[in-house]
Amino acid sequence: MRPFAYAAPASVPEALDALVAAGPDARFLAGGTTLYDLMKLGVEAPPAVVDVHRLPELAVVDTAGPDELVFGAGARMADVAEDPVLLRDYPMLAESLAKAASQQLRTMATVGGNLLQRTRCSYFRGGAPFACNKREPGSGCSALEGIDRAHAVLGTSDSCIATYAGDWAVALIALDAVVDVLGPDGARTVALADLHHEPGSHPERETTLAAGELILRIRVPTTRTARGSTYHKIRDRESYAFALASAATAVALDADGVVTDARIALGGVATRPWRAAAAERTLVGAPLTVDTARRAGEAALAGARPGRHNGFKIELAVRTVTDALRIAGERAVQ
Amino acid sequence: MSTETAPPSTVRVDARDKVTGTLRYGTDRVPPGMLHAALAVATVAKGRLVHLDTEAAAALPGVHLVLTHADADELTSGGFLLGGGYGFQSFQPLTGDRIAYRGQPIALVVADTLHVATEAAALVRAEYESEPGAFTLDAPGAEALVQSEAIPLPMFADVVAGDADGVLAEAATRPGAVVIDAVYDHPAQHQNPMELIGTVAEWRSAGDGGADILTVHEGTQNAGAVQHGVATQLGIDADRVEVISPSVGGGFGQKNSLQPQTALVAIAARRVGRPVKLVVPRTQVFHDSSFRPATRQHIRLAADGTGRMLAAVHEVDQQTSRHDLFPGTHTEITSRLYGIPNYRGLQRLVRTDVQTPGYMRAPYEHSAAFAFESAVDELAVALGQDPVELRLANDTDTDPVSGEPFSSRHLAECLRRGAERFGWARRTPEPGSMRADDGSRVGWGVAVGCYPGMAAPTAARVCAEPSGAVRVEVGAHEMGQGLRTAMVRTVAADLGIPAGDVTPAVGDTRALPHHLTAGSWGTAGALPAIALALAELRTALKVPEQGPVDVAAAVAATGRDSVEVEAVYTAPGQPPQVLDRLRAGLPAPGGPEHPGFVTFSWVAHFVEVRIEPTIHRIRVPRVVSVADCGRVASPTTAGSQLRGGVVWGISAALRESSEVDPRFGGFLNASLEEYPIAVNADIGEIDVDFIDTPDPMLNSLGVKGLGEVSMVGVAGAVANAVHHATGRRFRRLPIHLEDVL
Repeated sequence: MRPFAYAAPASVPEALDALVAAGPDARFLAGGTTLYDLMKLGVEAPPAVVDVHRLPELAVVDTAGPDELVFGAGARMADVAEDPVLLRDYPMLAESLAKAASQQLRTMATVGGNLLQRTRCSYFRGGAPFACNKREPGSGCSALEGIDRAHAVLGTSDSCIATYAGDWAVALIALDAVVDVLGPDGARTVALADLHHEPGSHPERETTLAAGELILRIRVPTTRTARGSTYHKIRDRESYAFALASAATAVALDADGVVTDARIALGGVATRPWRAAAAERTLVGAPLTVDTARRAGEAALAGARPGRHNGFKIELAVRTVTDALRIAGERAVQ
Repeated sequence: MSTETAPPSTVRVDARDKVTGTLRYGTDRVPPGMLHAALAVATVAKGRLVHLDTEAAAALPGVHLVLTHADADELTSGGFLLGGGYGFQSFQPLTGDRIAYRGQPIALVVADTLHVATEAAALVRAEYESEPGAFTLDAPGAEALVQSEAIPLPMFADVVAGDADGVLAEAATRPGAVVIDAVYDHPAQHQNPMELIGTVAEWRSAGDGGADILTVHEGTQNAGAVQHGVATQLGIDADRVEVISPSVGGGFGQKNSLQPQTALVAIAARRVGRPVKLVVPRTQVFHDSSFRPATRQHIRLAADGTGRMLAAVHEVDQQTSRHDLFPGTHTEITSRLYGIPNYRGLQRLVRTDVQTPGYMRAPYEHSAAFAFESAVDELAVALGQDPVELRLANDTDTDPVSGEPFSSRHLAECLRRGAERFGWARRTPEPGSMRADDGSRVGWGVAVGCYPGMAAPTAARVCAEPSGAVRVEVGAHEMGQGLRTAMVRTVAADLGIPAGDVTPAVGDTRALPHHLTAGSWGTAGALPAIALALAELRTALKVPEQGPVDVAAAVAATGRDSVEVEAVYTAPGQPPQVLDRLRAGLPAPGGPEHPGFVTFSWVAHFVEVRIEPTIHRIRVPRVVSVADCGRVASPTTAGSQLRGGVVWGISAALRESSEVDPRFGGFLNASLEEYPIAVNADIGEIDVDFIDTPDPMLNSLGVKGLGEVSMVGVAGAVANAVHHATGRRFRRLPIHLEDVL
């Protein structure tokens, strides 16, 4: 690890100023579970970090309001995972947090920082001798001809097939979450669906955040649909592992069991949090059955591109969506 | 020996220290003035170092030393453990410009802090002349050797009994006979003990005009090899090296020999004149310590129409390094699992460009039993026989290889008792015929295992104090297996004193010569050594040979300050020369073929898997395992050992694989995050039981080894259960979700 400057300003405005003052490569530090990890690996080497994880403005969580759920970016994943409103009315959100990482990491990590969690691609994290366009633009991609079992099948490019590793953003994107950001040029609100880039020819550009912008909070419109929801995470072991495939699903059913609202997003198979809007549309107006659920899963994976070892993820993700819709349907209020 | 006053079986003497964090491991030692070290490692997998630029590293403020092959002239190889030396491999980094594997250390940096050392190591710039390498069994350039020709030693010879090939050929044409012919693949795996590899080295003047004394603190299963190996490497007398390793944070074979960093740290400490500490990071441990080599195992197994096994041929290809021949003894156990009269085993070694592989819990037996017990299950299916009944029908009291009797073999009872506890009688044989309430397919599988009953020369000392307290020291190592607890129980039970009056000590070469603790011979050697010492103590205290002792009164009656005795245990029939090997830090185990008898530990595992509907995740909700390890020396730690072996077997069967990208060599998933060891959430109920009948011949206490055998056969039972659930036979581990999708 290289030496770096550390500052811990007392307020959000001071933090924004401190970051500008620290120069263009300075980074905000929240829980540190990604940034410090990558700094130890030499993948990230910011000359300065500005610590925002103790800022009280960022810690506010309000899940009692009639219109929206509000999660301060600095709230801890472990705390939000146990929020009673989420556990009762938004199980997909609570589960996406509870199934992430380990209890120790969840206790450190923040819900804002987690949106920006970087990929677990071994070639990205491994440094030399591996080529990685994300780590070193233009250097190539060792994963394309490599061990790609964990890599993405959706949203990939010839430059990068690295999987977006997070869970929380997958659940949030299914519920039309937005993020409020503040930066040198003022405040703005970004739909979570517009926060992440696909890799394209610039896999090093992962988000649409401008230089110096800080995520202040996440807001989620309230919806009764989320009562019938789940975050279904399929992985090589039942904790402390990233998803091979995951599905955030929510359904609302009418008295006849016909779907009136459906939400589907995918994790573990795509280069960014992946909303499957076309799949949702196949369900609305149809009864929720194994067959309609599977058809939705197939629609969600339309256009998936298998690599050398990850072709199974397409069928796995279809089944994960199918099973997640079953669980959501069992929980749904009719 | 009286057992009536044994302390409660639930007591684990170091449990409190462990959970309160007060137990001290090797590199927890922080001597005054200590500096920190970090390694720079090779990024190519094979070739030559043509230029090494250490200028930037050396110039970093806080750096005291950058050690490379260009200026480590006093360093030599400590030799290969299986070639008369002390190291896990003969290849010693920093003794030349050769790059033998990716991740090989090329420089050691010493600095004021760990952070500066780490940064400086990253600043070391290397240029290489790269050469193509071979990293897998099938790779071009991987060179296969027949082990018995390459290593002409009896213990590594082919195992042959009868005429297996002739009987197999005949069985292929005999009506009613069944021949199984299948190949099983096992990947490379890494031990991953929680405690990383590491060393704290400090020098002090002996004050006798002679050379300085080197003290090495590190977690090791082989303090004797570290002591004598480092002495050899540095060209100093072994009595100038002290190795202190009271508690090892898990070894599993990875710490069973001299590691390459120990001498580097010792040299660095001598150069800078201050103590130096190096803890090797996890990713580097994957590349500069031993691992379980990849194997491919070809089994041919013939039985007549009644299920009597007639002949077996077991041929093994095992990965080794370019610079060492790490031998395999897979066939040692598969020739003994059943009374098969015609058997031929062949071991081949395949040279690849990796660090030398080595021992990892049940190093050969785990993969061998996976292969052989899968084949036996295939045989049961082909015959239409119950797999438990088939195994029982092929039981034997006599070792089919040597013709000698087994000292004890309660494998049939393990099977019967396990089947009863598991409810095996309710199994329906047709694959896919059992369902859980949620629609999951249920599979029940069985497999057996065994592990050679070895014994090693072990030194013990017992000291009785006037207070009545007793100190017991053994030249062995506590890796978490419960040796200290077994020591305390043994002394307390023998003397009829409270466990709290007994203080155990292990892992310190200043006290006694230390033999390698591995191969499940640790407790099986330590306890007999203690028994010998206790007999000496009773003589010295002039108390009867048996029965409770008032230690305080007996010591007072001698008129001495304390009464101290020593004893050395050797395996049955071992010649006195093994003591020379013990004192030289060299391995000297005896067995499993002892004079007049053959000893193995035995186990039977029963596994239930459930394959859930839709997604087909493979779950293991319950396991029943019954072991024959002779007398159970410590029920709490024995149960823990057996359950731990089962956990690892499940993990190995369904998860663990060290991934190799052949373009780069080395290992790709070299971290605890990416190398998927099973977690608690993956493990269901594990019900363990013991035959607990003393072995009448191996030693006076009737104990046999347990740690290794616990894992043997688990993976086979899992794979057999998956077959029972799905009708599909998986001959390659690990069995992943996508395999059953």
